[in-house]
Amino acid sequence: MSKDICIEFKNVSKNYKDLLALDDISFKIHKGEVFGYIGPNGAGKTSTIKILVGLITDFNGQVNIYGINVQKDRKDFHKLIGYHPQEAGFQEWRTVDHAFKTFGRLSGLSSDYLENRTQEILELISLTDFRYKKIVHLSGGMFQKLRLGQALLHEPEILIMDEPLSGLDPQMRYQFKEIIKKLARSGITILFSSHILSDVQDIANTIGILNQGQIMKIGTPEELQTSFHVGNILEIVVAKNSSLYDGLEEVSGVVSIENINANKQLIHLDSDIDIDLIINIILNKLTEQKCRIRSFSLLKPSLEEVYLKYIRGETE
Amino acid sequence: MSLRLLFLDELRGYAKSKVMIVLWFGLPLLSFLLQFIDPGQLEGRPISFLVSLVVSSIGGTLSAIMLSTSIVSEKIHHVYELFLIRPVKRSSLILAKFLAVYSCLVIAVSISLIVGLIIDGFTGDLSEMYLNMTFDSLIIGISSMAITCSIGIFFGVLVSSVPVAAILSVYLGSQLSSLIILPTFFIEVLDPVLLALTLGITLTTIIMSLNLFLFSRKQF
Repeated sequence: MSKDICIEFKNVSKNYKDLLALDDISFKIHKGEVFGYIGPNGAGKTSTIKILVGLITDFNGQVNIYGINVQKDRKDFHKLIGYHPQEAGFQEWRTVDHAFKTFGRLSGLSSDYLENRTQEILELISLTDFRYKKIVHLSGGMFQKLRLGQALLHEPEILIMDEPLSGLDPQMRYQFKEIIKKLARSGITILFSSHILSDVQDIANTIGILNQGQIMKIGTPEELQTSFHVGNILEIVVAKNSSLYDGLEEVSGVVSIENINANKQLIHLDSDIDIDLIINIILNKLTEQKCRIRSFSLLKPSLEEVYLKYIRGETE
Repeated sequence: MSLRLLFLDELRGYAKSKVMIVLWFGLPLLSFLLQFIDPGQLEGRPISFLVSLVVSSIGGTLSAIMLSTSIVSEKIHHVYELFLIRPVKRSSLILAKFLAVYSCLVIAVSISLIVGLIIDGFTGDLSEMYLNMTFDSLIIGISSMAITCSIGIFFGVLVSSVPVAAILSVYLGSQLSSLIILPTFFIEVLDPVLLALTLGITLTTIIMSLNLFLFSRKQF
């Protein structure tokens, strides 16, 4: 086994009575990776995560963290993992400070260390002013930050987050993403689930698509996008006071032209054509016509398109 | 380590809860109000005797409701997930709750009883016999409360609905806990205090063991 493999699922299956939640899934996450786990509701994301953090112990297969089997040796992996649950609540009578102290002490931290660490975490998640407020008085976004805060108290090497961005307003979501990016830069391995594709694309460097309990595809966002051939389509956008060139039909290899608006057109190319050659020809034509080009790009499928193709089973 | 920490933590939470505040102040107030009962209706027994029976019954029932509903509510809101991802034994979570509520309850009942004894002292009803009678009823009450609390936890662990847990705790919890004094009505040779203590410890241990078993099998 490679040394930098941090998390490994080997043929893991999980049933809830007659419902098969996870169907023989296997994947690896490497140290320092930010793994975005996407799939529709009920795909099995939360089950995967709960197995990983030890909340679900009744499953088939094997899950290793740094080579430690989570079913056999729980003592060691508690220290390695920080878990940001999707829904977990806090007892209403607690203040933010009290919650951190309780969870910190239960994680084995000393009181002195905890005092400083609580302050550090509250600064990171921008909740310093709410340290002595009762949790019940916090807003939904702050509550979500608190879930993240408690996960980071013991400086885990691996952060597992279940739908961390759901239910947040745009500003809070931006803040949250910045925090996650900051944590990723510090070298923490992150696994997070989401069904908001733009968020996954923003944060993750590896994406796993899960559907009906099965891993459909794993790869970098670029790999996923290039895994689909959507046809050779060029998108040309010209400046507002410039007109589109309408003589491109004559170019050999151009199948059709789709004018989206006065400044934007899509050029559909023959799929067998040498793409580099035709791009060069078209660019020369546009330059000769003194078109003021704002952008010129070969279209790739969006992550959303890739995701939907896998979810709908349209893969080859 | 985690049991002690969780116990102190739960104690802090329950001690400040609305139900406990009612018990802290309500039960001593009840002791005070009971002095206005016609002494003839007490059949020669002291106020403190009545106080220990009434407050342990009310306190036990309220505690069973509090325990069952809080456990169900915490299950619904996934509160235990944040504990169980840490090196915390599931048994510690349940035992800490039981010990915290039971401790609060014993303190609340003791305060009420002290109020009752003070009233008896002022009214001149405080003889050694009365004190023994009061002490006996206190032991029976405390044994009964231990059973009620463990039954409250049982419904909390087993049931998934707050209202159902509350209803079961009210109707079954207090009924089952009264079983410990029932045999003395039929078998006169039985010492009610010894019987209450024996049954209290035995039944509480059995029910709590069942609670721990059920909770350890729960998948969160």
